[in-house]
Amino acid sequence: MAEINIFNSAGRDAVVKLQSVATPLRVRWLDPDGRQVSAARVVKSTLNNDLDALIEQHGDLRGVGAAIRDADPEIDLDTAGRLLQETSRVYINSVRKIVHRAQEWEVIRNPDGSERQRRPRTTPDANVGADVPPLKWSGVLIPKKEAVRKFVFVQKMQLAHINGLTYDFLYGMAKELEAKESLMLLGAGPKSNQPLVLRRGASSFRGFLEGRTRGDTYRLILHLSNLELKAPEEQAAEEAAQ
Amino acid sequence: MAKPLVFQWGESQFSFAMEKVDRAKLYGFKETEVLDDGGQRCVLATLAQDGHTVIGRGGTGLGNLTVDGTWIEKLQLTPVDPSGQKLQPVSSSFAAPVTLSDKATIDEYLDCAMRSIYLLQAEGEAGPLVEELKQGTIFRFAYSFRGGLEPDSGYLLANAEGKVFLAVGKPSKVEFLSLQQTAAVVEDEEQSAEDEDADAMDFSMM
Repeated sequence: MAEINIFNSAGRDAVVKLQSVATPLRVRWLDPDGRQVSAARVVKSTLNNDLDALIEQHGDLRGVGAAIRDADPEIDLDTAGRLLQETSRVYINSVRKIVHRAQEWEVIRNPDGSERQRRPRTTPDANVGADVPPLKWSGVLIPKKEAVRKFVFVQKMQLAHINGLTYDFLYGMAKELEAKESLMLLGAGPKSNQPLVLRRGASSFRGFLEGRTRGDTYRLILHLSNLELKAPEEQAAEEAAQ
Repeated sequence: MAKPLVFQWGESQFSFAMEKVDRAKLYGFKETEVLDDGGQRCVLATLAQDGHTVIGRGGTGLGNLTVDGTWIEKLQLTPVDPSGQKLQPVSSSFAAPVTLSDKATIDEYLDCAMRSIYLLQAEGEAGPLVEELKQGTIFRFAYSFRGGLEPDSGYLLANAEGKVFLAVGKPSKVEFLSLQQTAAVVEDEEQSAEDEDADAMDFSMM
């Protein structure tokens, strides 16, 4: 269960649930008997039967063509069609051998593809959760009508109480934000200006907290954004101005 | 040349060319380069559960299995919605003008998680529609790029600078929570300083 450790505007912190609100699967596929089918991933060809391996064995494409005409070197009958379930990702080198000691680099490129920076790859730690410092109540409010025209919200999470005390805690936050008709910037770090990382190694996002209430019910939503609603030329002009 | 997206608003039609906007186009992008001990570039592959079968890019495929574990072709299958009703395919949004008759509130727009964003450039006169969008109107319609079983939610809106965008996404399953219930699981600064902070957010650093 994902959790979030967060302060309210009164400086009180609590750990509450952080839940996905992604739309569940809405299309199901049924067989002629009306039973639901499941998707399966299968092996088509292994590394020893792919085009590079066949060219290595038969010299060139003409040789590969002749071999396919005379036999079936592109199919390994022992593995083709086998169901894949618990797989791992591995790195292979130019001679198609598994690499056990790899150096990972991050290459940062500009929109035109030119290289901006090269650095050893790092895996960011999560900064949202029960075991990390609470996220501060930044107080930085952005009216909803401005926020929707400025940011693209690509993902949402719902904050949910775990007991009566945290119900009051979250309901109060939702009520406060609703009254301001604004989203509150929610960030990590002492100044609340760092992007949120929900899981170790995951993408980072800007967080915006929204609250609504209806009677004695509430919804407190963390909107996540990694994109501004702007044209590429607007961004280029801003960068040039800086 | 790509087909334009045509909107019918009142008695008028407005045609727009679409350009996809993503992080790479705005801020650049990040690649991971992996080298072996000899400095040679490596690529990702899949290691099967037997621990020795290595599968390269394009070496796997997807299929469908019945509850008995029997292979079944997609042509034999029927798509249904969660209540079991057969789904009817929808046509592409480019096949005919999209009627703009449904306005979304800001809260409805916020309930949707956006998957794709397109910058729209008017082909010809689109002044009245653009002016309406600049006032803050958000139009909502069913959108499907190439047709299919389940259209996405499309939203037509303008940004603060008056550029017109199409946002495409799916509504999220957000519920109001009471004391007895928790959500359904699918798996002190001055105002001026606040504004400055908001403007100073650097999306390219992520």
